[in-house]
This record gives sequence, structure tokens and C-alpha cells, in this order.
Amino acid sequence: MAFKLKYEEVVRVPNPMTTLNPLKRTKGKTVSLQDRVDKLNKSSAWKKTVKKWTGEQKTFDLNRMPKFSMEKLGVLDIEELIQRELDDKHCSNKIANVDLFDPALLQPVICIKTSKGKFISIDAQHTAATVAALIDAGFMPGVTDWKEFEYAFWYIETDNLAYARKAFGILNGKGKKAQSQYQQLRTSVFVVRIDKDRTDPEDVEAERMVSIAEKHNCFPVEENSDLLKHPGTFSNVSIFKTLTPTELDVACEWHNKYFHYEGVHVNLFFIYQHLCREFGAAHMPITDKFKEELAALIQSLFGNLSQFAESCKEAYRLYTTKQHGYPGNWRDEAYACALVQLYQKFGGKEKIAPTLLDRFDDLVEFFDEDIVSLA
Amino acid sequence: MSYYLYLVTSVGGRAGFGIAEDYRERNKHYASHSGDIVKFSYIYTGIRAKAKALERTIKRQYVDNIWMVDDWKTEWLVKDVSMAQLQAYVQNLIDSRHLGLELFAQDYDFTQGELDPLEYRVATV
Repeated sequence: MAFKLKYEEVVRVPNPMTTLNPLKRTKGKTVSLQDRVDKLNKSSAWKKTVKKWTGEQKTFDLNRMPKFSMEKLGVLDIEELIQRELDDKHCSNKIANVDLFDPALLQPVICIKTSKGKFISIDAQHTAATVAALIDAGFMPGVTDWKEFEYAFWYIETDNLAYARKAFGILNGKGKKAQSQYQQLRTSVFVVRIDKDRTDPEDVEAERMVSIAEKHNCFPVEENSDLLKHPGTFSNVSIFKTLTPTELDVACEWHNKYFHYEGVHVNLFFIYQHLCREFGAAHMPITDKFKEELAALIQSLFGNLSQFAESCKEAYRLYTTKQHGYPGNWRDEAYACALVQLYQKFGGKEKIAPTLLDRFDDLVEFFDEDIVSLA
Repeated sequence: MSYYLYLVTSVGGRAGFGIAEDYRERNKHYASHSGDIVKFSYIYTGIRAKAKALERTIKRQYVDNIWMVDDWKTEWLVKDVSMAQLQAYVQNLIDSRHLGLELFAQDYDFTQGELDPLEYRVATV
């Protein structure tokens, strides 16, 4: 039986992402704070917040604003029940890392000031401890006593330790907007592209990976970005970063050749990661014919990879329920294994790495009847 | 088993879309919610995975035309997109992306009962 399915060309239209891609900038762009205020004023979430403030007659209490001063490090106390245990490795390997340490990046100490004039740290004890210990070790020219060294303190005046405790929670998680995987990637890419700084291998590698994706019209974007409506975009940066450059190149090339009109679903990365690794281990090539026939299969039976993912997960749920009596936890390698099983069921003759074929026996039979019956 | 993607026109004239295994039951739900007969202006049929793929594409790539109720993305379009525009968009997706869905019925509501695909095709030739 010959392979039953045929890939049909889809006319390529210009992808707006080639001009909209936010990572393509080679020059920095500065906008005014007014720009951000305007954006907030248009936001429906912001309008809701304003309505709540108005409803509760809440106003901005200027007396609660934090104060700044330069204080001697010796006056700082650490409340051990508020701050975490000192992480000596964080101080040694991160903050004071001999290759990374830069005084310009030090954060102010954040603390409360009690009515008795005591400063109690609620954040940045690691920074303060590292600076003090570096002085103690003789690394700050002209300063011998760290207790007398004046450092930037950012504080609020209160005797309420419960408030300090809550504030620490907010500063270290709750309430603080964590950097997304995409933002971290963007920083690395801009360090290389805009700042022309190639000293950090991680930044260089990240920029290289993004360049590989862009070469094939694939574009990482922020989660929930408006740009996700455009073809070639994806937001799952954490999985993208687990691929080798070769795996990424093969995956994105395939997407751009056959599904240039679709967004990139994350299972593209899982599929090609597993195909490359299993075929590589078996010293077998992934032939062009095989890649085209896989595209034909996805296009003919599912329309796109996104739908394949949904159908595959449902088949897996039925399969594991039949096997074990309950739905098993999802395993990402099932995408590639299901795909090659479907490939063979529809008459695919290209050689498959054996390790892809000896898992999830008969998973293919649990796909929708209207798909399986076409074989 | 056939699956359906329908384009629905609300009582107020707004265009919308959805997928269903049983188009007649789904049409009844629209009628019971809106208190009036609601027309499925177009119904397409095909294999389930592809009907779902098409709906997914509309939601992702036609997102600028989706009617938002606060932060909720509905399955209705903004008022200035007509049924004719939606149908042209969907037909173009089906044709250009080789999705293999076929037009099954037009101006349908549940009072017409179950349609026989063959009868329908004969009737529209």
C-alpha cells in the first residue's frame, strides 16, 4: 500500500511579522512615561481598577510613600523570622561572582525604620551582606570598616513587624511581576543585537536560537501577545530553549515550508526534538520524503498541528484509560510516537527509528473513528 | 461521523460561529436562549478534527474581529463585520488551506428538522 495522503500547496502571503517582530530591532527605542499612562488609560482592566478606587473613595496617602537616605551598613538588623536564611551560595556565586559583579547593579536595602530609629531589613539582605563581606575582605579601596560604610536605604517608618512580614512576601513573589521567559530571552537578544555585547555565552546562544527561528519565519512573542494572531508566532519560550540549534532548525524549516500560514504550536518542538534524537541515536536520516509525508498527514487529517495536539491528547487519554483503568499523565513523546504510528497506518514506507515504534502500542487506534477509518 | 461548523446570525443581526456534532440540537439551544428562531446562515460539514481546526483558526487569526464582553472572547463578531464577510473569510480558509469541509446547508433553523445531505445537495444544484 502506497502512502495515501498528499500535501497540497498553500499560497504563501507576506507575513506581517517580518516587519512587526519586536526582537528584530537593532536600535533601542525610548518612549515617554506619557505613552505608558495613555496605554493604561485605554485599558479595560485599568478602568475597572479606577472604578473600584472611586467606589471605595480611596486616595493616595503621601505619608505612606517610602523615604530614601544613606545610612551606615552597621545600623542594619535582619529579622530572621521575616527574611530567609542567608544563602551563602547566592552571595558567592551570583552577586559577588567575579565575572559578573558590577557595583552599578546593586539594589538599595529595603527596610522599615522603627520609632526607636532601628532599621530592619525586609529585602536585599543578601546584597547588604555581600557588600559588607567584600569590604571586610579588603576589596573596597579606601574603606576598611563596613559598619561605617554608607549605603542607600529605602524605608518606611513603622513599628509594625507584621507589616514588614507581609511586605517581604510581596517583594519576593506575591505582587511582584516576575520576568517572563520571553522577557529574559528578549534581554539576551537585545544585549547582543542592540548593545553589540557578546561577552555572555548565554546571551549569544539565545540570540543564535532566535536567529535560527527567524530565518524560517518563526517568531517568539510574549504570552497573550496581540501578535499571536500572525503566522509563525509562538509563546512557549521555555520549550523552545530546550531544543538544540539543529533540532530547532529542522523544526522551523518544516513549519515554514508546509505550515507557513499557521501559528507555531509547541508540539512542533516536541515532535522534532524526539524525531531528531531518536533518528540520530539510530544513525538514520530524517528524509525529505518523510518530512513531506508527515506534513501531508497533518494537513489532510487534522488541518494543523494545533488540532493534531488536541486529537493526540484525547487519543492518549482513551488509550491510557483502556490500559490502566484511568487517564495517565500526559507524556510529550507521545506526539512523535503517535505521528509515526499514523504515518505507518496510512502506508508510509520511510524507515523510522525503532525506538519511536516500540512505545504506546496501538495508540493510533484511539484517534477519532472518522480519521482511523480513512486509512 | 460528520461534524459541523456553523455560521450563526443572532436575532439582532450579529454574525457568530461555532462547531457541533448535532447542529439541530445546537440550533435549539440558540433559540431557547434568545427567545426566537435563530438562523444558522451557513453550515459546513467534514471530519471533526478539521472542523475544530477551522474554528481554532478563526479564533486565533480573526481575533481582531471577535466581540469582547469585558475580557471574555465570545464566539460572536464585532458589529461592523457582516455575515457575508465572515462567510467569505471562512470559505477562503477552507479553499486555500484545503480543509475539505463542504457547505451542507444555508438559512437553517431547527424547525426544518434533520437534513438529508443528499437531498440538500440536490436541492441546491
